[in-house]
Amino acid sequence: MSEALVASQAPGTDSSVPGASGARQFWRRLRAQRAALVAAGVVALLVLIALAAPLLTAIEGQDPTTYHPSLVDSARGGVPVGPLGGIGGDHWLGVEPQTGRDLFARLVYGARVSLGVALAATLVQVLIGIVVGVAAGLGNRWVDQLLSRATDVIVAMPLMIMSLALLAIVPSSFPRPVLVALIIGLVAWGSIAKIVRAHTLTLKELDYVAAARLSGWGAWRVARRELLPALAAPVITYAALLVPTNITVEAALSFLGVGVKPPTPSWGQMLTAADIWYQAAPQYLLLPAGALFVTVLALTVLGDGVRTALDPRAASRLRIGTGRRREAKA
Amino acid sequence: MRHPSVIARRVAAASVSLVVAAGAAACGPKDNDASSAGADSKPQKGGTLTVLNANPQEDFDPARLYTSGGGNVPSLVFRTLTTRNRENGAAGAQVVPDLATDTGRPSKNATVWTYTLKKGLKYEDGTPITSADIKYGIERSFAAELSGGAPYLRDWLIGGADYQGPYKDKKGLDSIETPDDLTIVFHLNKPEGEFPYLATQTQFTPVPKAKDTGTKYEEHPVSSGPYKVVKNENDGERLVLERNTHWSASTDAERKAYPDKIDVRSGLDSSVINQRLSASQGADAAAVTTDTNLGPAELAKVSGDKALAARVGTGHFGYTNYLAFNPKVKPFDNPKVRQAISYAVDRTSVINAAGGSSLAEPATTYLPDQKSFGYTPYDHFPAGKSGNPAKAKELLKEAGYKNGLSITLTHSNSKDFETSPEIATALQDALKKAGITVKLQGLEDNDYSDKIHSAKTEPGLFLAHWGADWPSGGPFLAPIFDGRQIVKDGANFNTGFLDDKSVNAEIDAINKLTDLDQAAQRWGALDKKIGEQALTVPLFHPVYKRLYGKDVKNIVISDWTGVLDISQVAVK
Repeated sequence: MSEALVASQAPGTDSSVPGASGARQFWRRLRAQRAALVAAGVVALLVLIALAAPLLTAIEGQDPTTYHPSLVDSARGGVPVGPLGGIGGDHWLGVEPQTGRDLFARLVYGARVSLGVALAATLVQVLIGIVVGVAAGLGNRWVDQLLSRATDVIVAMPLMIMSLALLAIVPSSFPRPVLVALIIGLVAWGSIAKIVRAHTLTLKELDYVAAARLSGWGAWRVARRELLPALAAPVITYAALLVPTNITVEAALSFLGVGVKPPTPSWGQMLTAADIWYQAAPQYLLLPAGALFVTVLALTVLGDGVRTALDPRAASRLRIGTGRRREAKA
Repeated sequence: MRHPSVIARRVAAASVSLVVAAGAAACGPKDNDASSAGADSKPQKGGTLTVLNANPQEDFDPARLYTSGGGNVPSLVFRTLTTRNRENGAAGAQVVPDLATDTGRPSKNATVWTYTLKKGLKYEDGTPITSADIKYGIERSFAAELSGGAPYLRDWLIGGADYQGPYKDKKGLDSIETPDDLTIVFHLNKPEGEFPYLATQTQFTPVPKAKDTGTKYEEHPVSSGPYKVVKNENDGERLVLERNTHWSASTDAERKAYPDKIDVRSGLDSSVINQRLSASQGADAAAVTTDTNLGPAELAKVSGDKALAARVGTGHFGYTNYLAFNPKVKPFDNPKVRQAISYAVDRTSVINAAGGSSLAEPATTYLPDQKSFGYTPYDHFPAGKSGNPAKAKELLKEAGYKNGLSITLTHSNSKDFETSPEIATALQDALKKAGITVKLQGLEDNDYSDKIHSAKTEPGLFLAHWGADWPSGGPFLAPIFDGRQIVKDGANFNTGFLDDKSVNAEIDAINKLTDLDQAAQRWGALDKKIGEQALTVPLFHPVYKRLYGKDVKNIVISDWTGVLDISQVAVK
């Protein structure tokens, strides 16, 4: 993947379609990929569900934290009463074993945590990655050495272990979802910084950047006016692929009991609570697992689509926006 | 118990599971016995009993074991001065003679205890067991390298506090006398009517001085019981026990010892153990576990299968899970706030979080609901089945919290269904109805344990539990409510910082009693009186359910251990 990224050219430098703006070209290329479109639809739906969680649960008439002791069979370990884990008009996806909490409500509120944390973490990663990458690419030998070695250290650090350690030492009064997002963001920005640095080094040699530098522009101005627009494509591409990774990391941290705290629902936390119930109440495990699977798959396919749409070589295989189709028609 | 270390207590908690571990699947009620324990045949000698366990028997030195009543597997190899009665239910909570001829003869003020050994007792090599060996066994438990046992001997024996063990101090403890080979006399620094209970612990096992190999003794401890160790691999992960031919059933009324061989295999995942016991195939048909309970999800599955449900043993160990207050932290200094929370708890949802009504029973008393503890029913702040938020709100209003209250509840993050997030979240939901907003503070288990047992860091409100070192009110109430046991630096268990002269005096008075039934009654009354102060909110007593293989017979589950007694099990 990174090979393709390194080889890809920023849209601003892609002159094969004169007149078409980068954004319009991007949409045309993305639209041509059916899988990416479906994935985009699924992602949009998930985001909508997450945003509308209070509304949806209000329609159902439930909330994610209220206990319903009468809906579980206490003598049998608290297994939900009724078929399929207590699915019915009142509880669309049944109830949680032992507590009787509504599973639909927990699932849609869980989507807020999973998506929110993953997006926020990605934002942190992208910001740090760009700053470090551009600074290393534009800076002198010493700055580059220092930042590159720091990046190497970050890349070499095991994400899960670092996150576990950091989450354990921060006081529990700190808002948990924010903390989880920050930690994932602060621990896993290494690869995006490397990609940005590599691109910056290539761009630095291009005539228009060299011209800007020679005309006496400062590093900051060069970075802002000349480099950032050109870096947008690789960064967006990589960010799109970071989101699903971050979702799984959040789920894993919550699964290990250091993520968001109860009673806030998150998919990872639901998974950890459900793992003993896979035989007695399978839907309890399948719901968060399925939600996680669909979300990560959709985001990955979408990220792949974005990469294809931004990569002129891949786009040429699609024969969209490269001008070839028009040539063929002519 | 003046200076119990956190470690020791943690081991105590572990010993609860060890003891539990020491027992296995069982059928508590006697009527269950008839159907499950081989209705068609009487238990016969012979065969191999397999024990499937999660935790290896890492400590197998009688000096280092922290057990209630001598443990389960250890009790097959180690005999003690007294032992627990191997009977179902309440009868099993009695202390009975083992190596001794009786449960001990106290002096008038219960500070001197005299025991006489039975005649003809022998070790696995045929040499006779003497009272000097019991003295030596106790003395070596004072050695730093063999620590791990309960703190009582150090606290009770005259000179015990400073004694370093026989390796450093050849002279031994003067407070243990052995006037002849069959007599042993203990001199205590204060009256302790419950000494016979203490004499069930493995520190009272005879250890022949000539065979003592120090820290290596646990690899092959010399047996005084019906089985001897023939294999001990990977630090107790695999143990094979075979008959000790020098053990005589005529001197041992308690251990039945039906199987010829006991094969202990540990290091298994708990779900694997329950899976193998439910499948009950091959050697697993004659298998039990001495440390793995059925969890809520497994219970849901087992209870749907009649044949499987008949192979579940149910038992009650003296144990209470509760909410603890630190009255030094606001607003818990106000009794009305503590009472309000007592009224507001929803025991039904707490019990569901603990695994449901089959795995936990509601508790309104601090003492376990068993006769031997002197159980005296009370419910000073009746919350009913699911809480009384109206009454709680009323009390909060009187306490000056008209617009509700915001508090923090500290719990452990371990997945134990006892002090874990599940229980805390259930309480959070219940207190919400009374206008109390609960913030949860989940701590990593070791951190949690350190914090709640330090007077300086103790949180205002936290989940706690306490298990019995023996089935009596003494080891349940004294460490928690005796004002003289408040420890400012170090491990403190009097978490409510109660220092009430009348309570302290009553504890001293009961310790003087040598009539254990009478003592039990007084403990029960004391519990009821302390309960009025609402320093704790008793939540539930756990119930142990364990599977056993389909060829396993003669299931006996006492209220002392709450789990199947491995010395009674037959596989033929």
